[in-house]
Amino acid sequence: MEEMILKLKQEIIEVLNLEDVKPEDIDNDAPLFGEGLGLDSIDALELIVLMEKNYGIKLQDPAKGKEIFKSVNVMADYIQKNRTK
Amino acid sequence: MEDLKLKYVYIDRQHACVDGVMLEHESQGGAMLSELYRAHIGDWPKFFKMDTLSKVGFLASDLLLKAIGREKPGEEYTSDCAVVLFGTTASLCADRNYQETIQDADNYYPSPALFVYTLPNIVTGEIAIRNRFRGETSFYVVEKADAAQMAFHLACAFDDDVTAGVLAGWVDSRHNDDFQAFFTMVTRDDAKYTDRLAAAIQTIMDNSNI
Repeated sequence: MEEMILKLKQEIIEVLNLEDVKPEDIDNDAPLFGEGLGLDSIDALELIVLMEKNYGIKLQDPAKGKEIFKSVNVMADYIQKNRTK
Repeated sequence: MEDLKLKYVYIDRQHACVDGVMLEHESQGGAMLSELYRAHIGDWPKFFKMDTLSKVGFLASDLLLKAIGREKPGEEYTSDCAVVLFGTTASLCADRNYQETIQDADNYYPSPALFVYTLPNIVTGEIAIRNRFRGETSFYVVEKADAAQMAFHLACAFDDDVTAGVLAGWVDSRHNDDFQAFFTMVTRDDAKYTDRLAAAIQTIMDNSNI
């Protein structure tokens, strides 16, 4: 799971162009939106694309993202349980 | 009538110049924009999410505003300042980048972050948000750089009796490593005589190779 979390953090940094952020700067339990990384609604859409492109997870209800993107830990757990690739 | 001299910032893929003084940098192209951002700005992480057109416009506008005495974004030149920009290639660079995400039917993942920049006027919004400008924001897509045409549109921006200044400029981006821009600040007094303003803009363009 640790390897998966590191890979996910690297993917998040890459797709969201978080140039000055390193994987170790992202707290596994910290909220991705709001205070944490200061992400916005476009970033949320990019994360939805990331899950579909890299893990074959198609979010039918974008509103579900609010729960799934709560933190890296929550997101990694969801991917682990629902990935098709 | 005395000639009008406007302070300006010029940026292309190899050079960045503030009112005639070259800024030092080691990289070129898109990497140069990031290097200059880190060296001279550094407090706006959203910079890295912008398309090239917006990065060039953001960097040029911030360097200019610093050069004319802005201490901190949003504290001066606020509600009465407009942003009026011109260019030929519009959002072509962002359009191409976005196109790559939808080109292959078997790898079809449209990028929302790239899509939001497929309009050239987004750069004017990025600058207005950064500086809390609440005046008009416009981006004119034109056939070629024409000082008289630019001066005419800039003078029109003062027709409302409210606008005190216009952050004006030229910005083009053909691809992520090829761009060109000049930015200047025009006051109501500067725009009083359109011919004089056009001559001042032409001087900047001559100095900038635009």
